Amino acid sequence: MRTGTVYTDTVVHIAPERFAADVPYQVVIVKLDDGSRVTGRVEGERVAIDDRVEETEPRDGVPYFKKL
Amino acid sequence: MRPVAIIGAGKTPFGAFPGQDLRSLAVAAGEKALGNAHLESSAIEAFFLGNFAGPEFTNQNHLAPYISTALGMTGIPSTRFEAACASSGAAFFHAFLGVASGVYDTVMVAGVEKMTCQPTPRVTEILSGAGDCSTEVKAGSTFPSLFAMIARRHMHDFGTTREHLAAVAVKNHANGALNPDAQMRKAITLEQAMNGKPVAEPLNLYDCSLISDGAAAVVLCAADRAREFSDKPVKILGVAQASDHVALDQKPDITTFAAVRGAAQKAYAMAGMKASDIQFAELHDCFTIAEIVAMEDLGFVPRGRGGFFTAEGGTRRDGAMPINASGGLKSKGHPVGATGVGQLCDLVQQIRCEAGERQLKRNSVGLAQNLGGSGATCVVTILGAY
Repeated sequence: MRTGTVYTDTVVHIAPERFAADVPYQVVIVKLDDGSRVTGRVEGERVAIDDRVEETEPRDGVPYFKKL
Repeated sequence: MRPVAIIGAGKTPFGAFPGQDLRSLAVAAGEKALGNAHLESSAIEAFFLGNFAGPEFTNQNHLAPYISTALGMTGIPSTRFEAACASSGAAFFHAFLGVASGVYDTVMVAGVEKMTCQPTPRVTEILSGAGDCSTEVKAGSTFPSLFAMIARRHMHDFGTTREHLAAVAVKNHANGALNPDAQMRKAITLEQAMNGKPVAEPLNLYDCSLISDGAAAVVLCAADRAREFSDKPVKILGVAQASDHVALDQKPDITTFAAVRGAAQKAYAMAGMKASDIQFAELHDCFTIAEIVAMEDLGFVPRGRGGFFTAEGGTRRDGAMPINASGGLKSKGHPVGATGVGQLCDLVQQIRCEAGERQLKRNSVGLAQNLGGSGATCVVTILGAY
């Protein structure tokens, strides 16, 4: 699985209807170790900028990350 | 290219107007601008409309002729421009080119959005269409969340604080409280601004602009003919549009907008000016952090200093660089497609000394910055007194 570093994050409290059941949820931009950046969700413990993260199973084409 | 002037400006109040549809708002603003320019609609040679999501909000498409014919203009080129929140800025830039190139002598640019006819979750969804729907939006990003991620990184890199963000909201509400056309005419305290309902951390309700209905219009003409129509024409000193990636994660540094810097550089060059020549500005404060980043990208303050400058009072009406004396998108309202031209109407009002209680003393050179999405489009315009 890909690993990287959290570049930035937010916790969403107000969401469109299709994500309303998920709030509050954390969205991150992760700088992957290959240098590319990807937007994804966080599962489990909240993360902060500069935290190391690992990709878990994507859901509906959306990358998910968890704290290392 | 030949010089171009604004000879008429008019806008509707911004707010929630259940009794007015998209077209009636646009027509009201257009008629005000024509009246202000002392022109009949038959004198207009082309119509440029800025609108972000009329079809999604109202089901009506083909909006430019739908509006221009209602204004009594028939047969002329009528085209809608879509560039997210910079839609009417983009329409204005292209209208300027049409007159500057000599193709037209007299044109109208209007911007309109009718948003309050949809419930808030649907509005959030429509607005998120200005992001990259294949990546960031699919992952659950909303517009507040994209700017929240910008704020987080700006705080991390430069020491910007939650208080700095709140200071933007407090200042813009104080200005908007004096604006009879503003949607939210209410001053707020720093404590209120710090403790609003969370939207996307670290942003709360007081960091976010409003959901609004409204329209704005200006009439442009070749500068050498401006005095035939108006005793208070305003010069377009510089205007430029630039673009960047739509997805936030494709920008190498999200604490600065390349499109803002690009458009500013070109607009300054056209005007033969630099940042220190600008006396006041209307900036695109869709979120508090956006105003901070914009004042840095425009060169009003060094990078990373926007929050500190705001907290020190530098952007108040009595500050060194008054920003959003109108109340900004935050307090005045943000009918997305109308915002770019609305900002120009605010500059015109200041330059003509018609801003009432909000009137600035140094008012002869003003800049407007209109941003689309999370920085994928920017239009920067510099207006000046004759």
